[in-house]
Amino acid sequence: MESLLQPQYRGKSLTDPVNTLEDKWNLLPAFLRVKGLVKQHLDSFNYFIETDIKKILAANQVILSDVDPQFYLKYLDIRVARPTRQDANEFDTSITPHECRLRDLTYAAPILVDVEYTKGSEVIVRRGVEIGRMPLMLRSSLCVLSGHERDEVAMARMNECPLDPGGYFIVNGTEKVILIQEQLSKNRILVEAERELVQASVTSSTHERKSKSYVVAKVGDGRCYLKHNSLSEDVPIVIALKAAGLATDLEIMELVCGTSHKYQELFSINFEECAKLGVRTQQEALTYLGQRVRGGRYQYGTTRLSPVEEGMEALAQTIVAHIAVDREHADYREKALYLALMARRVVQTLHDPQKVDDRDYVGNKRLELAGQLMSLLFEDLFKTFNSQFRQSIDKSLKKPNRAQAFDALFSMSFGGSHITSGLNRAISTGNWSLKRFKMERAGVTHLLSRLSYISALGMMTRISSQFEKSRKVSGPRALQPSQFGMLCLSDTPEGEACGLVKNLALMTHITTDVEEEPVLRACASLGMEPIQLVDARTLTDPKVATVYLNGTPVGVTHLPKMFLARFRHLRRAERIYEFVSVWRNDHQNSIQIATDGGRVCRPLIIVQDGVPLLTPNQIERLKNEELSFDDFLRLGVVEYLDCNEENDSLIALKEDLVTTQHTHLEIEPFTVLGAVAGLIPYPHHNQSPRNTYQCAMGKQAIGVIARNQFTRIDTLLYAMVYPQQPMVKTKTIELVQYDQLPAGQNATVAVMSYSGYDIEDALVLNKSSIDRGFGRCQVFKKATTTLKRYANQQTDRLEGFRMDEDMNPISTHAALGTDGLAEVGERLENGQVYINKAVPVQPEPNQNQQVQVDDSDFRETPMSYRAPEAAYVDKVMLSTNEKDLPLIKVLLRQTRRPELGDKFSSRHGQKGVCGIIVKQEDMPFSDHGVCPDIIMNPHGFPSRMTVGKMLELVSGKAGVLSGNLEYGTCFGGSKLSKMSAELIKHGYNYSGKDMLYSGITGEALEAYIFFGPIYYQKLKHMVMDKMHARPRGPRAVLTRQPTEGRSRDGGLRLGEMERDCVVAYGASQLLLERLMLSSDVFDVELCRKCGLLTGTDRWCSICESGEEVEDMKLPYAAKLLFQELMAMNIAPRVSLSE
Amino acid sequence: MNRESFVPPSAGVSRQNGVRYLCASCAAQVSLTKGEPVRCKECGHRVLYKERSRRVIQFEAR
Repeated sequence: MESLLQPQYRGKSLTDPVNTLEDKWNLLPAFLRVKGLVKQHLDSFNYFIETDIKKILAANQVILSDVDPQFYLKYLDIRVARPTRQDANEFDTSITPHECRLRDLTYAAPILVDVEYTKGSEVIVRRGVEIGRMPLMLRSSLCVLSGHERDEVAMARMNECPLDPGGYFIVNGTEKVILIQEQLSKNRILVEAERELVQASVTSSTHERKSKSYVVAKVGDGRCYLKHNSLSEDVPIVIALKAAGLATDLEIMELVCGTSHKYQELFSINFEECAKLGVRTQQEALTYLGQRVRGGRYQYGTTRLSPVEEGMEALAQTIVAHIAVDREHADYREKALYLALMARRVVQTLHDPQKVDDRDYVGNKRLELAGQLMSLLFEDLFKTFNSQFRQSIDKSLKKPNRAQAFDALFSMSFGGSHITSGLNRAISTGNWSLKRFKMERAGVTHLLSRLSYISALGMMTRISSQFEKSRKVSGPRALQPSQFGMLCLSDTPEGEACGLVKNLALMTHITTDVEEEPVLRACASLGMEPIQLVDARTLTDPKVATVYLNGTPVGVTHLPKMFLARFRHLRRAERIYEFVSVWRNDHQNSIQIATDGGRVCRPLIIVQDGVPLLTPNQIERLKNEELSFDDFLRLGVVEYLDCNEENDSLIALKEDLVTTQHTHLEIEPFTVLGAVAGLIPYPHHNQSPRNTYQCAMGKQAIGVIARNQFTRIDTLLYAMVYPQQPMVKTKTIELVQYDQLPAGQNATVAVMSYSGYDIEDALVLNKSSIDRGFGRCQVFKKATTTLKRYANQQTDRLEGFRMDEDMNPISTHAALGTDGLAEVGERLENGQVYINKAVPVQPEPNQNQQVQVDDSDFRETPMSYRAPEAAYVDKVMLSTNEKDLPLIKVLLRQTRRPELGDKFSSRHGQKGVCGIIVKQEDMPFSDHGVCPDIIMNPHGFPSRMTVGKMLELVSGKAGVLSGNLEYGTCFGGSKLSKMSAELIKHGYNYSGKDMLYSGITGEALEAYIFFGPIYYQKLKHMVMDKMHARPRGPRAVLTRQPTEGRSRDGGLRLGEMERDCVVAYGASQLLLERLMLSSDVFDVELCRKCGLLTGTDRWCSICESGEEVEDMKLPYAAKLLFQELMAMNIAPRVSLSE
Repeated sequence: MNRESFVPPSAGVSRQNGVRYLCASCAAQVSLTKGEPVRCKECGHRVLYKERSRRVIQFEAR
């Protein structure tokens, strides 16, 4: 009560205007227009092809020859051109992604370089030399689609879907995504305590080398050692520090322990050890270090380095490699400071085990995107290309008496395919193997899943972790509080990859690298004292904060708070790049500035003195498109925070919660979820695993995959015939435009029991609804073939159809046209041929020798249709592939109506199969004559606690009655009270229950039935693709047992456990019948005397008699085993008894 | 397999004009005969679709 009487209440006075930012969510679509979802892939790739590729070139600019010292070749510039077609005799070389998909081409653009080189005595400059082809990311800046994203006409002209996210590659006609990779951050000190060991590790990563250095100590010991792969033995830290030029023990003590007596006590033992080893001077320390460097280094391959030089080399090059050293002046101070800092962190942790770092903390992680991975790959390929190029130059220059002066460019065009094929191979197989960094990573790329629009979109936001899946640790899998707002809380797979595969939240951005230099200058002008000028005592002074730039100490400031505030001010005024983050670490008394790429960050509204800076006027201007999202950054109203800086802030979830303490306001709380979880209505009312289940199932829903779905020829495509947008939408649905490419239908659901066919989540479907098109879908399947050309100029060819006596096509060829391809629109039954291809019998008798082509030289290899249900030929496409060979694709179509056993699910992780299809006459109906499409058993609710589904029903019903689409947005959406009022207004019960009549008896049902629309998805699992039975069928050649699997028409296995049951029951004859007689029974002849199998001539060749040969039945597998044993010189003897 | 009854595609009646295809780019009618390069004669585009069959096709509506 007292606070109410104060002149200021929660930082606001009585006369302050009430600042209602109800429409602040409008920032979200504005954000998604410039950043977010797939934009990070595009930004990263654009950075690579525009900036990084030039840096790589600059690092490998000159090629010299060992043979001719006069020769040089210098790269002047590199650029990637626009995507082109590679066909011969083409006047228009521009190509669309769609053509690449259809023709199995790679969507790539030439990489052009400008070179300057010597030819004899003249210097030649040549511009635009192609050195390879770069696969292009769709919608990146060089893609033909860029700039047309919003132009639907232009997109339609290119046969491209305007809603397609882009961000993937097309390699050999398949769409490939480079998933976001999660890694521990590079060049940062990370302190860990593992049982008895405390270690500070740092993974150094520069363009030249990657290495990992450690400072380790045992708990209760205090002796610290420097550990590195290149050192054969751990080096005491004091010796390492002395080698790095810290002359006095006092300075080392001050740097590591400061003035703290506790730390000094812990650390002092290290000096003792150093003294015992007799190391006093830098020279001695370097010698000690140099003697322990693994594998002696040779300078220029001639003289071996002395131990001192060796030690200096190791310190400068390999240990903590990312800290640059001024080698001319042998100034190792920065390296010494860094090593001391690592030791300090170890000592701190020894003293207080709480001070370890958390490697699962999102702020300690970096996300690697397509651009970075491509740049690693390109750099590696470019280097090998250059060395190959150099070798071929050397070879040519070595030749004496050339007729003409040697033209280097000539040999350049030879190696062109190395880069192209290297890039293509890596993307299409997903194996990133770089020799230079010993990097061997498999499964980097994945096939873009086109089951539904959402599955494709979900793939673009997916993050895969480098952790092993088999390890049984919960840490990396657990939900980290720091993931809030950065990674989706719900969207993760179940099972082995649970928690390791994550998804980005809706409003996140991943940073790209920013130059450090300007930031350093800004720090200096904010009063930071450079680290070179600071003495040891000041560095550890608790009143002085050290400033770190990307994990490296660069200076100190006496006024940390002011420094922080001013730095942020500069950033908000756009003087510093918006993705540079700054935060204060109180544990280490430091200010951390990060400019590196791969940090996850998200935008927030800035709050000053308890008032959000965003004004309703600005939102109004945003709505009128006078302002864009970037303008809000410029105005200093919104800023990006990364995970670390979030920890420095107090973020209000809602506007009315803002106090003077707050620094930021959330733009919209529903952005904690990702694109896939955003489809769920009222997810905040569901039990959390249910939302996770829906995230998995939403990707399997059949719907519309893209606007160009019927012009695409996918291997497998499911399309719903009458898709509907959901009655209960969410803001996310509108933002990701799921309402334009939906996957499901609004079914009228009665929650009641009906017959016994609805137990265990089975659904009762209305037959008339199915007749009207509920759940109807089309399945498209592709068959493709190329007509190959062989070395002797023979080619595959298409045959026509064969006729019977009456000159009618034979039944298997009934669908074929005269060109040997099925006629479009024709119905294909099981076994009918749709591509009648023939291959030469002897493709390569004599190389390069023209052979007389005769019909008998060809063997028919027809492709015939195999499925229980007929299909129609939808499309037959003819084209040529990259090698100019004819390419044929046939698209087959099936229309499927729901049947018993097809799988359906609502948007709340409630899946069920169709248990029975009931005629509408027998379905319950209301007094309005409304009849349900689906009857769902109420037992699905109590244990699953999907209250959101009930709310969806009520809101959906209210929406149907009032003619509106309702919202079920997370932490918002249409209020239940309002929906109930709407129901009452239209004469319905407020709770959504209706009185129904039984369709069978016509009597009113005894209970009121919860009745209304729920959005149902049809999932891709359909019985038609799964049903399987066989009476008799094919057997495996080796064992003569029935084959395995549906695709091979296999048998149904009576497995080990089933066998155990039969054994336990004692039904030995059944066992015999199942395991032998119905499987691989075999008649053998056996000699009773020697117990071995004989031939089939009733004669035992071992006993040389036919007297005691007996007939018997044996599983063929047993006979096989006996023979195999005999081959190994083991005699399996069978003794027979009565 | 009855070799005599086999009619090589080149011997077909409709062979004179080749089979009719449609260009994916300009929708022009292209008729190709055996061994011809797959290419639209109007615009040079290399994706062709086979024209819909003129046979009567009966669908089962259900």
